[in-house]
Amino acid sequence: MSRWLAEVVAVAAKDLRAELRTRVALNALALFALTTLAAVSYTIGPFRLAEEDRPFLLAVLLWIVILFAALAGLDRSFVKEEESRTAPLLRLAAAPSVVWAGKLVYNLCLIVVLTAMLTPLFCVLMGFEVALPWRFAVLLAAGGLGLAVITTIIAAIIAQAMTRGALFSVLSLPLLLPLVIFLIQGTTAVSTGDLETYRNSLRAVLSMTGVMTIASAWLFPLVWRD
Amino acid sequence: MSDRISISFTGIAKRYDARVVFRSVSGEAGPGEALVITGPNGAGKSTLLAILCGLVRPTRGEVRHLGAGGEAIERDGWRRHLGVVAPSMALYDELTAIENLRFFARVRGLDRDDGALGGLLESVGLEPARRTPVRGFSTGMAQRLKIAQALLHDPAVLLLDEPSSNLDPAGQDWLEGRVRGLVEEGRTVVLATNDRREMEWGRRHVALAG
Repeated sequence: MSRWLAEVVAVAAKDLRAELRTRVALNALALFALTTLAAVSYTIGPFRLAEEDRPFLLAVLLWIVILFAALAGLDRSFVKEEESRTAPLLRLAAAPSVVWAGKLVYNLCLIVVLTAMLTPLFCVLMGFEVALPWRFAVLLAAGGLGLAVITTIIAAIIAQAMTRGALFSVLSLPLLLPLVIFLIQGTTAVSTGDLETYRNSLRAVLSMTGVMTIASAWLFPLVWRD
Repeated sequence: MSDRISISFTGIAKRYDARVVFRSVSGEAGPGEALVITGPNGAGKSTLLAILCGLVRPTRGEVRHLGAGGEAIERDGWRRHLGVVAPSMALYDELTAIENLRFFARVRGLDRDDGALGGLLESVGLEPARRTPVRGFSTGMAQRLKIAQALLHDPAVLLLDEPSSNLDPAGQDWLEGRVRGLVEEGRTVVLATNDRREMEWGRRHVALAG
């Protein structure tokens, strides 16, 4: 188990090191997130929404920005391996489970950076008030993990295809939408202080993430080898 | 080298949709032998090599990797004993030479410190460039690093696709000596080439018609 973990860390560290040197995915994520946030805060801002609608509408806007920023940058993990012809040697050197888990950790790191950068800015610029801050952090973490799990397996599938950009969004959205709906419910609840709805939403997000993790771990070797 | 492995393939055919690459190819190479695959451009030499290392499935036919006792090794286990050098397989441009070797050592579960990796780089003439990103390498230097990567885990089987390409004459001499030495040590070598000099590295030959 410790050897497997060391190999997973090696794959994730390799991708992070390469990303820090090129910043292709980070720039795509940051550019999309900041541009969208700037446009939303300029046109809507903190005061153009009715007080009673604000928790829900701001939760929708927050997760739309995170979702589409993730779609803009997270397909790179596998596409880059195929485009730069490094995938064959990786297939020969590493076990499929190691590659899947390593890429998942890498995508999770990118989402953590994205949400850590975006969420405080969003709260300040949009005047989004959070009544349950620690629970909001837990929900963001669970949502980030769910996004990473789904985008990792979809990125692996579309890396084999010719029309990658469009396919990533088309395949990801049906899987991500139910997750995002529960994340919006939960985020609305942490804003209004509705603990019961928060717990139900978090439970749904964790369940969906768990199911997708098991399905991805089972599916990935088939996608990666053939 | 811990294992002595043979490769045998029988009746291998490959087609992509309507295009037939080859129909029925057979051959074998045992420990201490080099098998040379030849054929004109487009005959499918690289495809056959990719089939032998398990990266591409044949349309028909069977590839078997056999251990010292003649027992078949499962496809999932092939990667442990294979070292591959091919033009279609690249290393990581953003990483340095030593970082590439360190990464491949770690994902193979090998315990190699930087001293050992530096020794390997020195053996392929890349020690002075150990901290240079591969992006800054010439094609010949990148080829030397690919060879180092293929030898990293002391593999029992080497699959080489035009391994001397892009190497200078001194590099070609070094590689020929190294491959002949590996064969004498009991490794199994399969070589796909059109180079007359490389064709002489092995006694067994398989010619693809094209």
